[in-house]
Amino acid sequence: MGNRPLIRFCLRHSRRHLVRTLLLVFGIAMGVAGVVAIDIAKTSVGKSFELSTRALVSRSTHQIAGTGLEIPQQVFTDIRTDLGIHRSAPVISRHVKVSELGDRILTLLGVDPFSETHFRNLHLSPGEQDLSGVMTGSKGVFISRSHARQYNLDIGSPLHIFLGSRKTAVTIAGFLDSENSATGRMLEGLVVTDISLAQEILEMEDHITRIDLILDQDAAAEKIREHLGEGLFLVETDQQNTAVRGLSYSFETSLTAFSMLALFMGIFLIYNTVSFSVTRRHRLHGILRAIGATRANIFFTVMAEVMVYAVIGSVFGVLLGILLGKGAVQAVVATVSEMYFTLTVSQTHISGFTIAKGLLAGILAAFVSGFFPALSAAGTRPVSLMHRTVSEKGFNRLVPGLFICGLFILAAAALLMRTATPHAGYDFTALFMIFFGSALLTPLLIRVIVRVLLSAGMGSLGMMVKMALRNITRSLRQTSVLMASLMVVTSVFIGIEVMTGSFRLSIIQWVDDHIGGDIHVSSTDPLTQSLDTDLVEKIRQLPRVESLSAYNIHPVFSRASGKVHLFSYRSDQSVKRWSWTAAPKEELDALLENGWIFVSEIFAQRHHVIPRQGAAVTLETQKGPVPFQVAGIFQDFFMGGGRAVVSPETMARFWGHDDITSLQLFLASDTPAEPVMETIRQMLDPEDMIEIRSGNAIKQSILAVFDNTFIITSALQALTAIVALTGILNAVMALLLERTREIGILRACGTLTGQVKQLLLHECFFYGLISGIMAIPLGTALSWVLIHIINQRSFGWTYEMVLIPGVFFQAIALSSAAALAAGIFPALAAGRTHIPTALHME
Amino acid sequence: MDIQISNIDKSFDDSGSRRVIFRRASALLPSGKISVIMGRSGVGKSSLLNLISGIDLPDKGFIQVGDHCISFMNDTARTIFRRRHIGFIYQFFNLIPVLTVLENVTLIAELDKVPQKTCRRQAQTLLEQAGLWDRRHDFPETLSGGEQQRVAIVRALVNEPDLVLADEPTGNLDQETGAKIMEMIATLARKKNKTLIMVTHSPDAAAWADQIFSVDSGILTPMDSDTNG
Ligand SMILES: Nc1ncnc2c1ncn2[C@@H]1O[C@H](COP(=O)(O)OP(=O)(O)O)[C@@H](O)[C@H]1O
Ligand SMILES: [Mg+2]
Repeated sequence: MGNRPLIRFCLRHSRRHLVRTLLLVFGIAMGVAGVVAIDIAKTSVGKSFELSTRALVSRSTHQIAGTGLEIPQQVFTDIRTDLGIHRSAPVISRHVKVSELGDRILTLLGVDPFSETHFRNLHLSPGEQDLSGVMTGSKGVFISRSHARQYNLDIGSPLHIFLGSRKTAVTIAGFLDSENSATGRMLEGLVVTDISLAQEILEMEDHITRIDLILDQDAAAEKIREHLGEGLFLVETDQQNTAVRGLSYSFETSLTAFSMLALFMGIFLIYNTVSFSVTRRHRLHGILRAIGATRANIFFTVMAEVMVYAVIGSVFGVLLGILLGKGAVQAVVATVSEMYFTLTVSQTHISGFTIAKGLLAGILAAFVSGFFPALSAAGTRPVSLMHRTVSEKGFNRLVPGLFICGLFILAAAALLMRTATPHAGYDFTALFMIFFGSALLTPLLIRVIVRVLLSAGMGSLGMMVKMALRNITRSLRQTSVLMASLMVVTSVFIGIEVMTGSFRLSIIQWVDDHIGGDIHVSSTDPLTQSLDTDLVEKIRQLPRVESLSAYNIHPVFSRASGKVHLFSYRSDQSVKRWSWTAAPKEELDALLENGWIFVSEIFAQRHHVIPRQGAAVTLETQKGPVPFQVAGIFQDFFMGGGRAVVSPETMARFWGHDDITSLQLFLASDTPAEPVMETIRQMLDPEDMIEIRSGNAIKQSILAVFDNTFIITSALQALTAIVALTGILNAVMALLLERTREIGILRACGTLTGQVKQLLLHECFFYGLISGIMAIPLGTALSWVLIHIINQRSFGWTYEMVLIPGVFFQAIALSSAAALAAGIFPALAAGRTHIPTALHME
Repeated sequence: MDIQISNIDKSFDDSGSRRVIFRRASALLPSGKISVIMGRSGVGKSSLLNLISGIDLPDKGFIQVGDHCISFMNDTARTIFRRRHIGFIYQFFNLIPVLTVLENVTLIAELDKVPQKTCRRQAQTLLEQAGLWDRRHDFPETLSGGEQQRVAIVRALVNEPDLVLADEPTGNLDQETGAKIMEMIATLARKKNKTLIMVTHSPDAAAWADQIFSVDSGILTPMDSDTNG
């Protein structure tokens, strides 16, 4: 018998069972769509980080920076004239707000047009002479053309640039053009102007932010190092880049986690639908074999059909994925831009690689999913009385083996996680293995749980419950795949909830420890941050003020991680949670007085501080690089690349700051903060740039930032949930289609439609319940991995895992509800079963 | 109860064209008797049983079972009527695979909220008669075809229906087993004075029949049965 007529025959069979065929194609499509959508979200966000980074960092190989994030412009002149290094450019870069451009935070980039050519591709129009024309005093700036169009601005339109509350009026002198739309979006984050105007706007006098250099010989770098005075240093741009990349890395990390999950769900879904549709034909294959089809005939027919649908489904899935992905990008980039103003790209980036990956995932998964069922179909004995249960029996024999296999995979995953090299690739492979390994455990677990439920008296709740539970183990081969996927989704819910919940609790704890003051007074003047000492004294004398913590914060430049913040306290009222100390806690303050420093966990991670005796870190000071002994590492969530605490003497000696920039006031108990804040406001001059906020308000705003961060996670979680739920819906529908004959019998014997619906819903409820139960240990393990391995490695934060029982109940409720919801449609359909037809089903 | 079939029409959609199964068919199947229905395969015998039991409805005309006009009831009423008054036996046994022998037998009584004791006693009596009481906790798959059909017979009779419908109950069994099953159904029906309507090709059946009907070209005609007055 040739394959051709068989294939035609099977395709006709598929047409006759259109609903099932559509389920198959749709199952494959949703799997592929999930993979593609998350991948698009991931690459788009990654891409936008990369672009914004490139915009700010330029093509330089080195930079000259200063400890205080400012250097004299004279340095630039010296480098050019004395050292003759021509590929160098002075740069001023600072965040400002422009009221006419939607009050968004933008980067004011002050450049020297003559030096620029080597560094950035700034296409100015009309022509560069206008930028030079700025020097004649016309206060012109350049913004991106698309941005101008968006806000209806044209050349000559006035703009107001705000630095803190300092306002400068300028006019639009021209536009920034770009060669493609991607860089065009990137330019929207910039306001470009001449160095001298930037200095005027920012009141920097004759200072600049940095000097970009392109050096091709190490000798040149040496020469510059010798030339540079105290407080100035030369860094390689790559080092700087890593700091910026760190941020994007942590995002990509969480996105990768989701794309893993989507891939996993996708493969699951495809496996489920394909293997299901093949086993369903068992009887048909038995008949075909009986009338003379060879094993090879059957195998190729089955595979050919599966592959036809795999291709259709994958193509459809890619299209669907692109749609979903675009939606996700919109959501993700909106939040990311809110938080990290440098990110202005909101373009969806769809690479051929993404599409290829989706297609490949679909086709490969379908191939593998079809392969083994096709083999067993080919092995069908030519007897038409073969029942589905025969293949079920074969599967039942495999169950203990699968369990052991699962345990091995889990053990291997644990080993992989423990490997010393903290490489994200390993972590995610391990995560994937955890999902897969626990999925292999499910058949045995389901059997045990069903048995426990039955013997715990569930059976006495009536025949319907009993039937529902037994049906689960009867078609274990299919139900276990369905329930394993439901378990994985639920466990991810638990993992993320526990992670964010624990994280949030730690943040609250940290806020209470560090920002415990009732009132905070700090300078908002970006230029001179010091508070007036008289003011500090007056505040200290206020009647209801019990104690006061005064300190200063100064950003300094660090070779290892760019901008870091140094704190020095006059009286430190904060409570620190140490993750490591060099001496007993009582002696730490003495060490600080002796010039040792405390560093935060992130700081320690970025500066590769190994927590052991003799740990030291080199910081750039006004007197050049100085090694400092580390007295302790503390847990910290300060946003901004880590911080270090030094004594006021150290601060004054090495960085020249002996001012006070911030105050925390502790009021007598039961004193409302608002009247005291009002009193302090009265003491201020109207032009003072000083912010007075209550501890509560600060706490709220910190938590708001935190919650915003996790909006992204939620958006992705929702996307994954959509894919997962369609998968579950699909699987439930396919499973319940199998019950048609049984429903026919029940109805014929006198079972009411309502009772039949009840039976199906019971069954679905148990799918959900059991999956939920199984998800609890997996979810707990997952949150442990997220908190102690992935999060710690990518963010550098440690916090305690807090298990909240409510989350577990929520998870069980969620998975039961999801499964029930998936059952509603099939249950309604079952109510309308035409009994004679159902009875005649094979 | 008497079964009165009045002028029924029934046809099915067969890929576009309509296939007429019954046209103005009428018959009276007497109460307390064994009626055997014969006819070629595909002529509409099973469909007739479906119409009598109310799991399908005629396009025209009506069927009355005892005092109840089953064709005019709504679905729920028909289902409950079926549950209480009709027992069904099929060619392919149609037991629920996930229920044990005993559970299969008592399922409907339980759904009907009949006190467990009553239905269990009845089930035990019948299963003992069928020689299957020892196997009450086994699942149908572990039973032979003949045993499964005996369970199905017990299930059909356990709630004391007035009417028993059997659709080729021996069609899937070897001759010897078939003969035994036939005997079991017939004697039980006789003893309890049930109305039995049986579709069969088995020549043995004629021996038990009070009346034989043949289905042909859309109508139902009684045949002379001289064997058994
Ligand atoms: N639900 C249905 N839909 C369409 N055609 C049906 C249906 N049930 C029965 N038929 C058709 O009606 C005819 C009679 O079927 P059936 O009553 O099963 O015959 P018998 O039992 O006499 O062999 C057959 O041709 C069958 O194909
Ligand atoms: Mg028939």
